[in-house]
Amino acid sequence: MPPASKSRIRINQIRTFFSKPQNVILLLFGIVVTFTTIAPIVAIIQDTFKIHPGTIDAHLTGQSDGYSVVNYTDLFTSRLAKTNLWTPILNTVLLAVLTCLISILFGGLMAFLVTRTNMKFKKYLSSIFIFPYIMPQWTLAVVWQNLFNSNQITGTSNGLLASLFNVMMPLWWCKGLFPSAVVLGLHYAPFAYIMIGGIFRNMDANLEEAATILDTPKWKIMFRVTLPMVKPAILSTILLVFGSAMGSYPVPHYLGLTTLSTKYVSLNSKYTGEASILAIIMMIFGILILGFNQMSLKSRKSYTTVTGKSGQISKINLGKAGKYVIAVVLIVFTFFTSIFPIISFAIETFLPNPGDYSFLYTMDASHMTTKWWMSRDNADSTMYGQYGILFNKTIWHAFRGTMLVSVVCAVVAGTIGTLIGYAVSKNRRSKWANYVNNMAFLPYLMPSLAVGAAYFILFSNDRVNLFNTYLLLIIVGTVKYIPFASRSALNSMLQLSGEIEEAAIIQDISWFKRMVRIIIPIQKSSIISGYLLPFMTCLRELSLFLLLCTQGFILSTTLDYFDEMGLYAFSSAINLILIVTILICNTLVNKLTGASLDEGIGGK
Amino acid sequence: MKKKVLSLLLTGCLAVSMLAGCGSTASTGSDAAPAADTTTTTTDSASTEAPAAQEEAAPAEEENLTATQQIIKEAEGMTLEELAQKAIEESNGATFYGVGNSSRGKSALPLFIEYLQSIDPSYTMEFEWQQPKNNKIFEQLTADSLKPTGTFAMTLIQDGNQIESKMVQQGILDTFIPKDWAEANGTTPDAYEGYLPLQTLNKVFMYNCTGDAVYDNCWDFVGEGVHALYMDIDSEIVGKNFLYMLTEDKYASWLKDAFDALPAEEQAYFQPTIDQMATDASDLGLGENGKYALAWIKLWVESYNAQTDDGPICNTLVTASATDQAGLLVYSKLRSVEESADVSLNNIKVAAYQDGYTGIGGYGYCHYLFVTENSPLPWTACAFIAYMTCTEDGFSAWGKDMGGYSANPTVATAIETTYNHSKGGCDESGNVLYDCKNDRGYDWWTTTGELVLEDPKYCESVSFTVGSWIEVLTKYTGAEE
Repeated sequence: MPPASKSRIRINQIRTFFSKPQNVILLLFGIVVTFTTIAPIVAIIQDTFKIHPGTIDAHLTGQSDGYSVVNYTDLFTSRLAKTNLWTPILNTVLLAVLTCLISILFGGLMAFLVTRTNMKFKKYLSSIFIFPYIMPQWTLAVVWQNLFNSNQITGTSNGLLASLFNVMMPLWWCKGLFPSAVVLGLHYAPFAYIMIGGIFRNMDANLEEAATILDTPKWKIMFRVTLPMVKPAILSTILLVFGSAMGSYPVPHYLGLTTLSTKYVSLNSKYTGEASILAIIMMIFGILILGFNQMSLKSRKSYTTVTGKSGQISKINLGKAGKYVIAVVLIVFTFFTSIFPIISFAIETFLPNPGDYSFLYTMDASHMTTKWWMSRDNADSTMYGQYGILFNKTIWHAFRGTMLVSVVCAVVAGTIGTLIGYAVSKNRRSKWANYVNNMAFLPYLMPSLAVGAAYFILFSNDRVNLFNTYLLLIIVGTVKYIPFASRSALNSMLQLSGEIEEAAIIQDISWFKRMVRIIIPIQKSSIISGYLLPFMTCLRELSLFLLLCTQGFILSTTLDYFDEMGLYAFSSAINLILIVTILICNTLVNKLTGASLDEGIGGK
Repeated sequence: MKKKVLSLLLTGCLAVSMLAGCGSTASTGSDAAPAADTTTTTTDSASTEAPAAQEEAAPAEEENLTATQQIIKEAEGMTLEELAQKAIEESNGATFYGVGNSSRGKSALPLFIEYLQSIDPSYTMEFEWQQPKNNKIFEQLTADSLKPTGTFAMTLIQDGNQIESKMVQQGILDTFIPKDWAEANGTTPDAYEGYLPLQTLNKVFMYNCTGDAVYDNCWDFVGEGVHALYMDIDSEIVGKNFLYMLTEDKYASWLKDAFDALPAEEQAYFQPTIDQMATDASDLGLGENGKYALAWIKLWVESYNAQTDDGPICNTLVTASATDQAGLLVYSKLRSVEESADVSLNNIKVAAYQDGYTGIGGYGYCHYLFVTENSPLPWTACAFIAYMTCTEDGFSAWGKDMGGYSANPTVATAIETTYNHSKGGCDESGNVLYDCKNDRGYDWWTTTGELVLEDPKYCESVSFTVGSWIEVLTKYTGAEE
């Protein structure tokens, strides 16, 4: 038999390579995610050198077009460097660190109590705990203002606490770093709850039991045994929350904290190129987090103690009274973080003027109104030129827009992410697979506002101009949310033994059939959460879309518009619409597939 | 030095990445025909006149005009009826896209379509009106200008400073002066120089009067311990233009006059700051009273309590608990307040309406109308602009509420006759219920009311001198309280 020629061997190698679906997926999506991640970064870097007419770079260079390094020298060395750069960086880092701390402490404690103790009312608490994540993050900031502002301290009208009880909270409590971190911490605590809770539920209790037998004090068991075991989940929470908190625009904006995000928006008109540098700095943090993630993944090998196979989780007995007392304390607390905002949104839609709670002091129901819902007359001067919510075309147009963007993003991001997760799990030792996995994950670690800014610049040119189109929002949303699905799919696929698929291959079953009949049904729950999370997040996303469309285009920008204008009846109604939509979708998915966000932690 | 090295290092690192992306550079139209200059507004006349003065302008060379400018030139010789005919020919069955800082363009467009249908009942036009926030309108128009044919047919836009530097000087927007509008203002489209204002809006000083604080001089709003509510100057740039305008000789002298009217003990509080500003005023090339302007600006920036919008400011000031609070906010916001146990229009006073008040009463700025240089429907854009500026119906979307003054004297008179804003706070018998809602009108505000008026060209000229000086000031955060 004559030896095969080199070219024939090559062709055979290529044919073999492409005969494996995971290779095709990795090659195809590798190219796609490289473009979708790198191109906007390049575009925004280019923008930092570009001269923008009517801005500082044009003034300093005396030119109206061309390129210059003047934005860098001015941002880093001018008299405004502290105001425009260093203070926002410091505030941003402090905000991100504090947010991580609060979300991990609160979410972790909740996860521990739900999974490892005999606390009562777990099902209720588990469901209610994720509400702050469902709501747009700045709505809690608005509720915070309505509760704690006072004429004496914040120089505004009195909030509920000052009005009803004459309690004036100090300024640090009302504005700045503390309330911003608390609000964001509460918003992201469900992240920590889901991740840490997942490990608590599945962890092998043998080690703790062994320590107990050896008469180790409980605090020592906690710090030497339990906490190291949940360290990977804590690290994952930090990875996810740090970047998200950094890129949050609305919370620090409403609560008066200057961060890189708020500075980006305020600088953008006169210091356009310098604002782009701030976006790059935010992105650098994202890349650093990715590097940190890589390091932590490597070091995790040394303490992989979570087998997921232990059926004997020991539950700590909180005592007869303790299991009720702690539950009641948590019910009261979650009432303020989850229920009270919803009640306050509902009440707000019946107030005669925004923030006018006079019916509470007078106990006179005539001081309430249904005009914000029912009015068909936008010429009524007290309606601020708007129709009532039920007849307000702007709100319902935005609702349709939001549903379109969310559904398409969820379907596309979910599918691409699942395929990437599958392909990476099949080629887990391949460098290319690792590269694709990281490239797909990077946009999630980059602050939303910076990603939005980069895409705005990328798609605002003479060839492609997508500003204020659903296509642009879908592209950006998809790129940003692929990691939800890819991570979820990767983790679940890694649990699958290769033998299952190999058995099907031997029987010559096609790849499509293997996926639809074997892989997806087995990992249904994880894969569905890879669709559900992008959908939910997309519904109330603002920072990512803020720069990409006008108000009235989607619900979150419309909600932000009404909040900024002080028309709280409309913004509250939109919040209610969002919450109801998410709850309906979550229930539907739960009924149809058995999957839900808090599934498997305490809810079930 | 260290910072310079750091910035150069960063630049070097990023330059490598830049090479990959700098293949194409979109020129921003530096070869486009420059727009006509704008001029300072005349306010000493008691008559209702256009907020921009009329000066003799050199006629543009017709051969240098772009296609849109040629249409505008032709349109400027037509009546509204003739323009309507052109619009019907151009846009029947089409979709019209407009973008503006005011949401009411959306209310005006259906009326315009009805008007065209009164001429040709078979006429139809779909429309979409967008209202970007956070200064995005300039980015949106700039991005749209890069297309050969744009999406937006026209715009209604505020902030003369950015309009001048980012839009007009870049050839992105073209001014169209309707013949009927020019005639109503006693001029012609050729002779008129400046942008076309649809209306002037005023932000006025108001205060909560449930306490005993006294605000009888504009310096009281920057007095010791006062933190007036104001939209953050970084989120609404037009608010920064107010501060720029204060440094103009006319308004600086108003501030000096107001200062001179203060009692000696109050003067003593402000005097050190004024003296301290003398050098800066000289360095910035301001007039002899520039130090008064800089002192007021410094005290204002270092004391105002930043809010997200005028709406929340109004909601706060009319509340009984906002005792002694003050603010500078859009006057028309008062229109939407509903009386309740806690909220009343009688909790608020317009400073300039009070007997004995001295000094500036607020700030006036314009909503300008432009045709986009790459307008897909230039005739329709011109007709719509003419309809809004020359007819009562066209302006009614804005005119039905107080605090917005048409730049067309004929329309302004008709609006006042129909809506009677000067008695907006009275009941049917003429009894005054809410004094603050009796709008005294454009003439009063620009004379007795000492309204500071935006001049786009002046704002643009000082935005990197006075503007940069303002940015160095430390904004109030409440931390020292």
